[in-house]
Amino acid sequence: MSPAPAPPALLRALLRRVVPLDERNAVDGDMYELYAARHADEGPGAAARWYRRETLSLALRFAVDRVGRVLRSLANGGATPSGLDIKLGARLLAKSPGLALVGGLAMAVAVALGAGGYAAVNSYFYPELPLAEGDRVVALGKFDQRREFEDEQLLHDFLVWKRELRAVVDVGAFRTIQRNLATSAGPGEPITLAEMSAAGFRVARVRPLAGRTLVDDDERPGAPLAMVIGYDVWHSRFLGDPQIVGRELRVGRDVYTVVGVMPQGFAFPVNHQYWVPFRLDAGTAVAPGMGPKLDVFARLAPGATKQSAQAELGALGRRLAAEGPAALAQLESRVVPYVDIMMNGEADGTSQAMALARFVLGLLLVVVALNVAVLVYARTVTRTGEIAVRTALGARRARIVTQLFAEALVLSVLSAAAGLGLAAVGLEMLDRYLENASGGRPPFWMDPGLSAGTVLYALGLAVLSAVIIGAFPALRATGRQLRASMGSLGSGARARLGGTWTALIVAQVAVAVAVLPAALRQGGGLLRGATVEPGFAPAEYVATQFGVGQDMYASMGMRTDSARADSVRAIAAALLARLETEPAVRGVTVTNSEPWSGGQAMVESDDAGREPQLVRVLQIDSGYFPLFDVPVVAGRNFVPADAALDWDARPVIVNRSFVDEVLGGRDPVGRRVRNRGYGADVNPWHVVVGVVDDFPTEAEGLGPTIRPRMFRPAAAGEGGSGGLLTVRLRGQSPEAFAPTLRRIAASVDPTLQLSAPQSLYALYREDAQGALQVALVIALVAGSVLLLSAAGIHAMMSFTVNQRRREIGIRAALGAPARRILGGVLARAARQLAIGVGVGLAAAGAPDAAAGGELLGGTGVLLVPGTAAFMLVVGLLAAAGPARRGLRVQPTEALRAE
Amino acid sequence: MTHQSLGEFEQLVLLAVVHLQGEAYGVPIVEEIERRTGRSVARAAVYVTLRRLEEKGFVTSWMGDPTPERGGKGRRYVRIEAEGARALREARHVADSMWHGLDPASLRVR
Repeated sequence: MSPAPAPPALLRALLRRVVPLDERNAVDGDMYELYAARHADEGPGAAARWYRRETLSLALRFAVDRVGRVLRSLANGGATPSGLDIKLGARLLAKSPGLALVGGLAMAVAVALGAGGYAAVNSYFYPELPLAEGDRVVALGKFDQRREFEDEQLLHDFLVWKRELRAVVDVGAFRTIQRNLATSAGPGEPITLAEMSAAGFRVARVRPLAGRTLVDDDERPGAPLAMVIGYDVWHSRFLGDPQIVGRELRVGRDVYTVVGVMPQGFAFPVNHQYWVPFRLDAGTAVAPGMGPKLDVFARLAPGATKQSAQAELGALGRRLAAEGPAALAQLESRVVPYVDIMMNGEADGTSQAMALARFVLGLLLVVVALNVAVLVYARTVTRTGEIAVRTALGARRARIVTQLFAEALVLSVLSAAAGLGLAAVGLEMLDRYLENASGGRPPFWMDPGLSAGTVLYALGLAVLSAVIIGAFPALRATGRQLRASMGSLGSGARARLGGTWTALIVAQVAVAVAVLPAALRQGGGLLRGATVEPGFAPAEYVATQFGVGQDMYASMGMRTDSARADSVRAIAAALLARLETEPAVRGVTVTNSEPWSGGQAMVESDDAGREPQLVRVLQIDSGYFPLFDVPVVAGRNFVPADAALDWDARPVIVNRSFVDEVLGGRDPVGRRVRNRGYGADVNPWHVVVGVVDDFPTEAEGLGPTIRPRMFRPAAAGEGGSGGLLTVRLRGQSPEAFAPTLRRIAASVDPTLQLSAPQSLYALYREDAQGALQVALVIALVAGSVLLLSAAGIHAMMSFTVNQRRREIGIRAALGAPARRILGGVLARAARQLAIGVGVGLAAAGAPDAAAGGELLGGTGVLLVPGTAAFMLVVGLLAAAGPARRGLRVQPTEALRAE
Repeated sequence: MTHQSLGEFEQLVLLAVVHLQGEAYGVPIVEEIERRTGRSVARAAVYVTLRRLEEKGFVTSWMGDPTPERGGKGRRYVRIEAEGARALREARHVADSMWHGLDPASLRVR
């Protein structure tokens, strides 16, 4: 009789792997028997398919059974970690400081990223309004379908909404304005005020600390001018003056009476500390789509829902749209959660992206915890003897697993605490960075500190990682292996680090080789970017953002602001002229942003053969290049007449990189360039009249570095939006000149507002800080990847050497040369390293290609093999210590230990 | 000692073991249940249940001789123990007492 056909070998091996040891032979035999029967009845293909299906089902069922058993035994066995377990855990950590340090550091970084990310995501993207029934506070607005465009000239709609809507109550509006607050010392400082309906205080449901809030009567034309201030400014600016209520303050051209102080933390509607009434003159007729920009808020009426409010608002909105300008007719009136007023774009898309970000951050910890688990397992395996003895003395499996879990918990909770500390520092830095970047405090509902929820989340992460690093190795070590080592109590010599272990080491090395080059390139670029000098003298330039206060009625009747722009330009020109006469001033310039930033645009030349390139665009006046000593290397500088031309007819100046990259190095003067048009939109050509040296030094940041620059001529204050005023000083420090600058500005026009004048160099350094912080995070993550790989290899080698002590001892006793013994010991590490490096090299190109070559920026040819070689060296170094220990094994000692 | 009760699937497996009279191992147990109940049964569930029944002391098992038809592996035969028989009787008694005096017509639900 021919033997029965056997199931496919691979599937059979898989089956044997998933079935618990004591069932293995029986189940394997049953399946073999059934397979043979099916093979005879239905043919090999159908039999194999059946076998595969059954194997999967068996794997799942046995896995569920296994988990159930562990949970049951934990629940029944009273096996909660005791104080002694914790103490033991701490002692064990102290005994293996390497493991504690490497594992702890890696997990701390992972928890910091996980918890910090969680806090940042929650606070910036899923914020809750910290007001009584904050979820019922809404914003009303007019958006296009995708919420990419929002019309904020809502005055007409606001008045109708306030009068007619029933599903919302306390409909109010606010806008943020800047005014100079006069102080006894001098010309005054700019402050930010909320011009807000009294309804805002009712919506917020917060009582004043002293005096009263604004009331509806304050909005009546002709009523005395009332102002409410916040706790912070009451203390910082008015030194907690107990007589503050009733005090008169000169703000801009008006005098307000302080009527109340709000408690600490109150900053409704966004981040405000001064509130004045939003008031309209009696009978003000406002055309639809006209007037100043506003935000409108309200509270859902009792019993109303967002849906019912939306239905009512939508119907009203369609009626209003029919009356308003045709251009705005397609806009939709919408009720949105109040915290969404700062958000643009489709909210749903954002939340999906954020959920993904949260998932990835969580995954990072799982990956790190798995790595640490590998390290812990290597140690747990060496304790098989101890575990076997304890089992023999009657300890139950649940008890042992619990103890190993408790030991892991000590490590993971300590790491979580350190991680939370790191996250707190990181969030603080992020907060400061955002405050600098956005030029103001974040909205009051965005508090990226460590909330109770974040701490809870981190604790959850700690327990999860303790399960991974403690319970998994414990279950493995107390399972099959334990039974094997019961027979050879003591040495744990029969324990094995099998295929899973090898796979993990290979994966670790591969990930390191694949990821580190990009991390090095990006981190290095950021670091250079953060430390590079901009190319101007640090101590000579002072800069301030200037603007001109906008009056409520100045723009009431018009949609464009051309009259206002004219007045701003006149004020700016007067300021520049006045500054030029100052002896300490060498020169003045106004730009639309800092020299190192500026807008970005795709620009093409009149050479049809060349592709459009991304360039930076800065609006400057004719004083800009001389002020920064930037030589004009070809053609000419701008003259004031250039800025007087029609916008479309103005010439441009470009830098050397622009000539190289956009014009292909050809003679630039006289050539024509333009912003690439989108679709049918054709932009006008501009003639290049000059070329300058590259300035400032282009710092690399995240993403591509844009070296080409194009400069457009503009008059100071053009567009009515103010700009960045930079003054070059002669023999005076930026700090010393700041008060003079303020005084001059106030003397030119009382409505002229300056942000706190700062050294331009300090501003540059502040901007560079963000890059430095990101570089730091990258360095931390890359460092832990490297450490974990090295530690994994080290642990494996130590383990192998311990295991082969006896063999090494005998071979040494028989006179085998040291080199050969060392080679044999290192072979396994070298093999795993080689496979890992090979896989990593193969994978290294993929992320870079996916990012369009931006990750490595063409440096891959050097960086990838460099990293691979580095990993090889690190791996071999990690292996060398244990190998040398192996060589020192004394034959007699090794044999005695058996 | 309190008596342990039987789940529904445990009853099915235990009854199949009894029916097979000394020839009970994984393959025929599954077939017996499927043949008698007309339900399809997950093989893995049977193995897991047998394990549990053995831990409860309801059955004992022993390995038979390896055979080439089974790839050199033996069968794990299962036999019911006194405690298992008692549990089966008790389960039946419980069910009977619930059925006792029940008019079959009362189960007709419109």
